[in-house]
Amino acid sequence: MRVALSEERLNLIRQALETRFAPTELVIKDQSQLHIGHDGAKDGKGHFDVTIVAAEFRGQNRIARHRMVYDALAELLQSDIHALRIKAFPPSER
Amino acid sequence: MNVNEKIKDQLEKNPVLLYMKGTPDFPQCGFSGQTVAALKSVGRPFAYVNIFEDPEIREGLKVYSNWPTFPQLYVNGELIGGADIVVEMFHSGELKSLLVDDEVAAESD
Repeated sequence: MRVALSEERLNLIRQALETRFAPTELVIKDQSQLHIGHDGAKDGKGHFDVTIVAAEFRGQNRIARHRMVYDALAELLQSDIHALRIKAFPPSER
Repeated sequence: MNVNEKIKDQLEKNPVLLYMKGTPDFPQCGFSGQTVAALKSVGRPFAYVNIFEDPEIREGLKVYSNWPTFPQLYVNGELIGGADIVVEMFHSGELKSLLVDDEVAAESD
């Protein structure tokens, strides 16, 4: 199995989210080091924390916002992401 | 019963149902643990399914709900969210209004 470096993974996530949402704000943190040794870290995939502000989240409820982010990252969820913390909202809720 | 019917059956029988990793007393994932803590603080009894004990449900639920991660909290058959959403709703008071103040069908056994 291909195991990407933290930096490479962060770039892949950033790229996918920027392409999909053109966010006005995007902060991605790799928190994998907090989970070393846990069951959830055994598959080699990472734990990430995403804060994303984009106009498209306006009028969507929480579930829909999270689904939009999950959809944009669907491929990476298979290969590189084990767990994802998501804060997604439109600029008006900043 | 196929996996979809099994999920529907579990959701029909349990108005507040948490699909989680591990059990409420021994959660095997930080996110499941945080979700259990929020539910316990609100004080509404809830049912749970340990997805590690049922690989079929574990895979089937991701498709059923179009939600790729665990835990997943359901109220009256509807997906409320994962750990982020449940913890956020706990802090805003929405979780309590949803589970305690609003009428959630009585727990059946």
